[in-house]
Amino acid sequence: MSGNQIKQEVEDRERRKIKSTAAMRDLMLKYYMEAKAAEGTDKKIAWITSGGPVEPLICFDVIPVYPENHGAMCGAAHMNVELCEVAEGMGFSRDLCSYARGDIGSAVTKGGPIGGLPKPDFLVCCNNICNTVLKWYEELSRFFDVPLYIYDTPFVRGSLPSHTRDFAVRQMEEYIGFLERMTGREFDEQRFLEVAARSFAAISLWGQILSCNSAKPAPMTCFDAFILMAPIVTLRGTQEVVDFYDGLLREMRERVEQGIGILPSEKRRVLWDNIPIWYEMRNLGRLFMELETCLVADTYTNAWTFEGVDPERPMESMAEAYAEVYLNINLERMADRMVGLAERFQVDGMVMHSNRSCKPYSLGQYDLAREFTKRTGLPVLIIEADHTDSRWYNRAEVEGRIRDFVENLL
Amino acid sequence: MEDQLVEKCVQLWEDPIPHLAQIREEGGIPVAYFCSYVPEEIMHAAGLTPVRLLGARRTISHADAHLQAYCCSVARTDLDMALAGELSFLEGAVFVQTCDTMMRLSDIWRRNTDFPFHGDLVLPVRMGEDISLPFLVEEVKRFKAQVEYHVGSSIREDALRESIRTYNENRRLAEEVYLLRRADPVAVDGLSAAAALMAGYWMKKEDHNALLKRFLENARSKGTEKLPQVRLLVTGSVCTTPDLYQLVQELGACVVDDDLCSGHRYFDSLVEESFPPEEALARRLWMRVNCPSKHQSLEDRAERLLKQVKESGAQGVVFYLQSFCEPHLFDVPYLRRKLQEEAGIPSVVLETELQSFSRGQLRTRLQAFIETIIGV
Ligand code: SF4
Ligand code: SF4
Repeated sequence: MSGNQIKQEVEDRERRKIKSTAAMRDLMLKYYMEAKAAEGTDKKIAWITSGGPVEPLICFDVIPVYPENHGAMCGAAHMNVELCEVAEGMGFSRDLCSYARGDIGSAVTKGGPIGGLPKPDFLVCCNNICNTVLKWYEELSRFFDVPLYIYDTPFVRGSLPSHTRDFAVRQMEEYIGFLERMTGREFDEQRFLEVAARSFAAISLWGQILSCNSAKPAPMTCFDAFILMAPIVTLRGTQEVVDFYDGLLREMRERVEQGIGILPSEKRRVLWDNIPIWYEMRNLGRLFMELETCLVADTYTNAWTFEGVDPERPMESMAEAYAEVYLNINLERMADRMVGLAERFQVDGMVMHSNRSCKPYSLGQYDLAREFTKRTGLPVLIIEADHTDSRWYNRAEVEGRIRDFVENLL
Repeated sequence: MEDQLVEKCVQLWEDPIPHLAQIREEGGIPVAYFCSYVPEEIMHAAGLTPVRLLGARRTISHADAHLQAYCCSVARTDLDMALAGELSFLEGAVFVQTCDTMMRLSDIWRRNTDFPFHGDLVLPVRMGEDISLPFLVEEVKRFKAQVEYHVGSSIREDALRESIRTYNENRRLAEEVYLLRRADPVAVDGLSAAAALMAGYWMKKEDHNALLKRFLENARSKGTEKLPQVRLLVTGSVCTTPDLYQLVQELGACVVDDDLCSGHRYFDSLVEESFPPEEALARRLWMRVNCPSKHQSLEDRAERLLKQVKESGAQGVVFYLQSFCEPHLFDVPYLRRKLQEEAGIPSVVLETELQSFSRGQLRTRLQAFIETIIGV
């Protein structure tokens, strides 16, 4: 390679890099540092599930901490297995959700890349993503000896029944009361409206950002989205998050206008299903780049793009949105969403991660795959792994299957 | 006489399927359910016969195309039987939302079978708290409407009340059997009591009530001198086969009580007949002993288990669990710790998978456990 070629390649790589990633790293670093610093002070800390209503916490100035986000971090840092082993040593089965096992291990040992999470003052568990979180948070509540608020979101088949909506709204009110008790502060409705408005703004920005990927070439892959989603999961409702996604959207739009794709060459486009395989992100990213295949969309990051949130009735519409998240609906509705993503992002096929320790996301995938192919005519590959327990992962086999699959696309 | 009765129950337990087909031949309309949170009275009042599927010992041939290997074998083997066409006598099945597996299984079952009836009952996770009761009452009503729609006529209130009485009688009788076993595990041994209760999953409740009465009469007339035995309590999800109970007995121990989904938790708490029927049914589900997939603020599982251990005089606890069963497996470390620390009660965890069931292994583990209790 000549000096010029090398220079050009370096420039090209630089051009393709997503610049906002640095801002996000700063944002998340600041967030974790503040959260850790708050431990033992008057500031309240709550641990909350990823699908839980975080806006009320922001409204009460409670610092929300997400064990699942931390789990992803531990997974990506290749540290979750040792944490899982701690939990297994305590008698937790190897077959339980590896986020839960890792989190329990980290709570006990303060292990992981940031030395564990700050101790919670109370816990908020919303079962709209799974019933596993109930068991996990019960255990946390016993371990830390702190109160647990359960925001209960019964499964929704078909359209949202009115008694399910009423139950959700009643709990939203009760949850506010719980927070008043926990913080010793009164609910400030004006503040809540502002937080809700910012949350909706961030969610809508996030939706637009993901939509940019319908462009060809796609300005990012879902591996980027998995990383860039951290603020929407953890801090939606704050102004920083709105500002951050504002910047990210601008960047994405510019990329689309200038035709800057995330891959040097994009020949095929694929949809991803299920939680990322956190410990394999790098390798898989490289593999797909080499195969000139862009993972343009996924069912996971799109779970944070609620539709139909109404700023005029934030409490109710928020309750509705939390009731009908992706994992809390029947397979037919999930298939509709998948097919919708395939069409919007013009994919050539789908890769499904059959995730050994996440049942709500994985059981039903075989049927979804068939339904997807029936309706779109597109092929599906199902690979076996676990979101953070790498002991179940067979790299050679998975990579071989991905190669075969991608090479046969189109 | 009693032995014949028990023998029949044990046979039924070993293979209930032919008997279910017979219900259909005799003009009954069997509807399957899996989980103990189903308000069976509604189906009973509509002229259907609720029967329970608890999985089966078999190799999987059809279900693997729908459920991954990391799913519990109860779900996998039940689905396998349905897909293999072995359950064609069923009118349909009812699913309740307990664990994530059941929640997804309902959709998978509905999409891949063509039984005329498919029922769903969504449950709250928060039980025993005022905030969830109105939701649960509405769900019970909705379930009733599903059943009515299927049978094509509405369920009369007096019929529903009658069914509630029949089921309540069943619960009282089952409780009596259990109390008798606790008091005199020689007259009413662990296997017999469990078999007598289990038989009720595969017959009409009226017939089962008659059976339990006969069982109780026989048991009471049988005077015993008590033998010292190792007393065990079994906790967990379902006992698909009688093997565990048989092995315990072969090893000279006895099961004096259980906290099983296919045992004590099934008949715990009566439906209060003073409430309107739908509300009364909802209230029972809401108040009964908690399944680990539910949360109750009133009294947690450990407290109940400790109480049960104390009252039954159990010297050891057997956790009998399905591999991959999240709700049950999660509670194991906590419950074991409480048992050991607060009551000095040893326990053992026995995980099973129906498609690779090993009686020999079960026996070895049980034997070792019983020996530690005796102190040999
Ligand atoms: S079981 Fe799945 S949805 Fe639930 S916490 Fe674990 S990874 Fe998340
Ligand atoms: S055994 Fe466990 S996982 Fe299986 S259906 Fe029952 S509660 Fe669910």
